[in-house]
Amino acid sequence: MAATPLPPFDLGALARFLAATSGASSVEIAGIELLSGGAIQENWGIDASFGGGDLAGPQRLVLRTGAATGIPSSLSRIEEFAVLRAVHAAGVAAPEPLWPCPNPSVIGKPFFVMRRVPGTAQGRQITSDPAFDPGLPEIAARLGHQLARLQTIRPPRSDLAFLPSIGAEEHIASFHRYLDAHPAPRPVLEWAIRWLETHRPAPLPAVLCHRDFRTGNYLLDGAELTAILDWEFAGWGDPDEDIGWFCCKGWRFARLDREAGGIAARAPFYAGYESAAGRQLDPARVFFWEMLANVRWGIIALQQSDRHLIGGARDLATAIIGRRAAECELELLMLLDPGGAPTEFRRHA
Amino acid sequence: MALLALGREWLLRELLPLVPAEREREVRLLATAIAIAEREAAAANAPARDVMHALEELYGEGDIALLLARLAADLRVGAFEICEPRARAARAILWRLTIVKLREGNPSFLAENGFGD
Repeated sequence: MAATPLPPFDLGALARFLAATSGASSVEIAGIELLSGGAIQENWGIDASFGGGDLAGPQRLVLRTGAATGIPSSLSRIEEFAVLRAVHAAGVAAPEPLWPCPNPSVIGKPFFVMRRVPGTAQGRQITSDPAFDPGLPEIAARLGHQLARLQTIRPPRSDLAFLPSIGAEEHIASFHRYLDAHPAPRPVLEWAIRWLETHRPAPLPAVLCHRDFRTGNYLLDGAELTAILDWEFAGWGDPDEDIGWFCCKGWRFARLDREAGGIAARAPFYAGYESAAGRQLDPARVFFWEMLANVRWGIIALQQSDRHLIGGARDLATAIIGRRAAECELELLMLLDPGGAPTEFRRHA
Repeated sequence: MALLALGREWLLRELLPLVPAEREREVRLLATAIAIAEREAAAANAPARDVMHALEELYGEGDIALLLARLAADLRVGAFEICEPRARAARAILWRLTIVKLREGNPSFLAENGFGD
């Protein structure tokens, strides 16, 4: 296991926490590494050996905690732990949650610990490695099935009472609030938001939404879907929101032509969802939520960039990501004004 | 510009092979940042002038930041929805604005979507 960079916290204090919560007489941390992919949260892979208690023996764990700066819409780690516990109990493929730690004195900030699940979440690898290709339509169907299972969790839930309820109207209001405070005007986003305002479908009964359900946030171990990750944006909302987000072009990585997350056509994903949810998807509703997904992803990209420009985060990836907002804007134009690009910009055959 | 291109080439050809696998992504990110800076330097003020010209055709003369803010405000309230020629002119500006940004920020994404040289 790679040992760089070193964790900025006391491994002894962490070992004592793990022992106390698991009932072990002692815990030895044999290795720790910062896992890739955490732009907003830090995930530390831990190899630990438990002397007795609930998890006696060697264990592979993940400690999840916040990065130095966050973005406004993410849950706290303790809230995310509660979501993980609820979805795991509902049978969703998610890492088993083990222990929350709201006490900042252990590692300097709140965190939780979950089991480490094998697999890769790398979107570019999943969408471009030919070894994955034969199994991807089936993976798309399973993801649809998983989404339907996730949506069996519905409000009210006393254990999830902290979750925000966000429908299209609330999303649109938050987009306006962000743009009003942003120093540079974004006319394409404004035009798309206007379209959203004037084409809002009648809401469906609220369900639990993942709100970042996409390629890059699930683990594949060969042809197996092993876990859905990153529950920090979860909340109550429309059942088609996660469908639109999954199909949004921003998450197709190397395969823009495969409209279900860069891994398959929409058909197997939709079929997997519909068979488990007992509900037919309405293409017009999905289109609305895909439009909203593009606006939301564009604004998240700008918010990430703000962490660099305004929040002081000294991270190159964070600094560059704001430029991805223009990719969302191009997609919004292609969806709302197909064929409308001035001829000088179109590629000649 | 030539310095940026040279630095980027040196980074990818000479330094990247020496970097441990877990740090490769950062080197590639740095190369991307240099490439963006290189394209921005090459384009200089031409994209802004291009957009400015289109904005002036819609609104008349003015400061580009103010005209862009006015366009954004007009689009928010649907100001062009009752006049198709002005709506078409506004949409043309949106395309231009977006494509000039992507020419600097991510030309390969433009190409993948059927735009570009």
